[in-house]
Amino acid sequence: MADNLPSEFDVVVIGTGLPESIIAAACARSGQRVLHVDSKNYYGGNWASFSFSGLLSWIKENQQNTGISDECEDWSKLILENEEVISLSKKDKTIQHVEDFCFGDQDSAENVEEAGALLKLPAFGASDVDGVAQESEKECTPMENTLAEVESQEPEKAAGTEPAGTVEGSDPEITTENESSQSTAVGESAPETGSAPSESSAQGPKKITYAQIVREGRRFNIDLVSKLLYSRGLLIDLLIKSNVSRYAEFKNATRILAFREGKVEQVPCSRADVFNSRQLTMVEKRMLMKFLTFCLDYEQHPEEYQDYENSTFAQFLSTRKLTPSLQHFILHSIAMVSETECSTLEGLQATKKFLQCLGRYGNTPFLFPLYGQGEIPQCFCRLCAVFGGIYCLRHSVQCLVVDKESGRCKAIVDHFGQRISANYFIVEDSYLSENTCTNVCYRQISRAVLITDQSVLNTDAEQQVSILTVPSEDVGKPAVCVIELCSSTMTCMKETYLVHLTCPSTKTAREDLEPVVQKLFNLNAEKETENEELEKPRVLWAVYFNMRDSSGVEKKSYSGLPSNVYVCSGPDSALGNDCAVKQAETIFHEMFPTEEFCPPAPNPEDIIYDEDEIAPEEAGLSNSTETKPESSTEESSSGGSTAVKKEDNEE
Amino acid sequence: MMAIRELKVCLLGDTGVGKSSIVCRFVQDHFDHNISPTIGASFMTKTVPCGNELHKFLIWDTAGQERFHSLAPMYYRGSAAAVIVYDITKQDSFHTLKKWVKELKEHGPENIVMAIAGNKCDLSDIREVPMKDAKEYAESIGAIVVETSAKNAVNIEELFQGISRQIPPLDPHENGNNGAIKLGKQTSQTGGN
Repeated sequence: MADNLPSEFDVVVIGTGLPESIIAAACARSGQRVLHVDSKNYYGGNWASFSFSGLLSWIKENQQNTGISDECEDWSKLILENEEVISLSKKDKTIQHVEDFCFGDQDSAENVEEAGALLKLPAFGASDVDGVAQESEKECTPMENTLAEVESQEPEKAAGTEPAGTVEGSDPEITTENESSQSTAVGESAPETGSAPSESSAQGPKKITYAQIVREGRRFNIDLVSKLLYSRGLLIDLLIKSNVSRYAEFKNATRILAFREGKVEQVPCSRADVFNSRQLTMVEKRMLMKFLTFCLDYEQHPEEYQDYENSTFAQFLSTRKLTPSLQHFILHSIAMVSETECSTLEGLQATKKFLQCLGRYGNTPFLFPLYGQGEIPQCFCRLCAVFGGIYCLRHSVQCLVVDKESGRCKAIVDHFGQRISANYFIVEDSYLSENTCTNVCYRQISRAVLITDQSVLNTDAEQQVSILTVPSEDVGKPAVCVIELCSSTMTCMKETYLVHLTCPSTKTAREDLEPVVQKLFNLNAEKETENEELEKPRVLWAVYFNMRDSSGVEKKSYSGLPSNVYVCSGPDSALGNDCAVKQAETIFHEMFPTEEFCPPAPNPEDIIYDEDEIAPEEAGLSNSTETKPESSTEESSSGGSTAVKKEDNEE
Repeated sequence: MMAIRELKVCLLGDTGVGKSSIVCRFVQDHFDHNISPTIGASFMTKTVPCGNELHKFLIWDTAGQERFHSLAPMYYRGSAAAVIVYDITKQDSFHTLKKWVKELKEHGPENIVMAIAGNKCDLSDIREVPMKDAKEYAESIGAIVVETSAKNAVNIEELFQGISRQIPPLDPHENGNNGAIKLGKQTSQTGGN
């Protein structure tokens, strides 16, 4: 079964984060032979998303900090005399200060495991049988044995994090020994198959327990990065232009929130919002509309702001006819810029960008991908694969092989000791060794992820996707961006919310973000507290970590990289994805200046079938639906079957 | 007017068992001996009537990502059904079928319809997997099972008809996609090709 990997490609891409995946797709699309590898057993690198158990494994791996030092094939014999090597890093060091906390009762979760795997949950199998309406309900038992065998044949794969997916990689059970810190309650479950775990904890429909989170773990898709897509941003444009958009679905962010004077409020931003707002007075509505209208074409009215070009945007706002709450909304929630550092012009630009994105898909400027941001790199990878790109997860690269004379990189040597040659090499920053990066100065991103039991702002509608900017109380410190996701985004289980907090680091993630968490949430889950605290959402589980921000590093800062090796950065701290898209396009054009970047992939309906005529009677059919995702006009079915319809319908 | 329902179907199974050939036969009624690994096709579509509905199958191929065990989770998202293919002349492919089912149970949607296709039944003289084994296994997991030949167009239509019948009728107050947005090209770029 172990297929042999070809040893010659045009482009080798190492890392499956967003920029690498876009480049891989663009290269394959333009006819290059692409090999795309990742040393992890999941897609996305630091752009990945995980099920709950997958995230626990990821946490454990990053807390342990043990080198992976698996024996690698000796490669020295593969290197010729006129060649030298650039070793790659053996261990990803981009994640630090990982701290996780469980605020619920963990003991009840001790024997609970994630549902979904065949062995675990009889209900699952049974419901399947129902769904398929086979004559009788079968028990799962005959299969359990078979599968247990299959599993045990693959012991070498047991380690490592489990992504939301990946074929026959590791098994989903987390093999934790219950000793490290807090997160371990999931436990390695003895094969007490199917014992419906701790029913006691399932009572009280509103009170989600840790056991339930563990059991429903696969309903979570928890992103390592927290971003939204600007509806007129570069990523949306690229998804549409390349037709990669057909692989994903999105939800609108439904609310823009602000945190002011200890309270969370909704920010009206579209015209309709402003008029319908109950919190604004008539005067405020007029002020706000007037100002926002001005921002949309501020370039036409330089006289309005030119005296303030050297001031901050915040100062400029204070000179306009705006109440303090309106100034707060505009500065923090609409422009989302720094109070102390953002100039008037930058602020106006940011406001305009926000306003221009309104209305394309909904009431706010933002979209969020169903199942999480981690889907997006996978979508580009699929496009690459559809155009012939070859994919290998769990595939490490030991070194780059450089020709001494030309100074160009010729090949890689992988962990099997196979030498694979190519013309171009794309390497994600975290794969580079310390030697290569000694002169690089990295920033950090502080991240927190919380699972909570209600929204930070409860309204009639439960299913809300909200973005909230919380300015720092210390002058000059960056604001914290909070994104709250509801279960209909397919990132968390019902009756919970998934809350992401992000800011550029000044200290450890916990030090940076915990003050904001304390303001917004109730951390004393078990104890009864004052009323005020009770109104806040309870945090059921939380993790903090710092992630390296390698964006904006110039190529020349890396030592000794050949010209045909390009470096992609990990996620940046910005809300949008423009940085990754720009980087991908720039690198692609450096390699292939004359090629078009991600032209549309053909519609499925438009491919092939020269000899078959398309049945003419079908043209009429497809016009009927409005919800068609693509602009396709023809069904591709080669006829026959659809001619029947009407009669069927009669009865 | 019949409603058209789009149903994503994902194909699973070892490289070389005939996944692409099955779709090719179903969608184009065509068989190619040296089918090249599906270049450029994101998915193929075919619409078939089923009761009061039209089922528009969007059939996703693995695009070769299964070859080195690197299928992405997004491949399974939102699938109404999965066709899991093995080769009746290769016992190995029947073994790994079980791994695919396990994978599907872990990462696929909960109520996914599973259909097992024992392909290459035109080669039954070199068969390694008895039909009985497949039937028993399919029953144990509540899956449909048929033996197919993409080459001779045996049971291909039936396979998809079987899937159609297992798809639960549309919940009237759910109208399909619970408000998810698909990014179309309605805003720009008219058609082209």
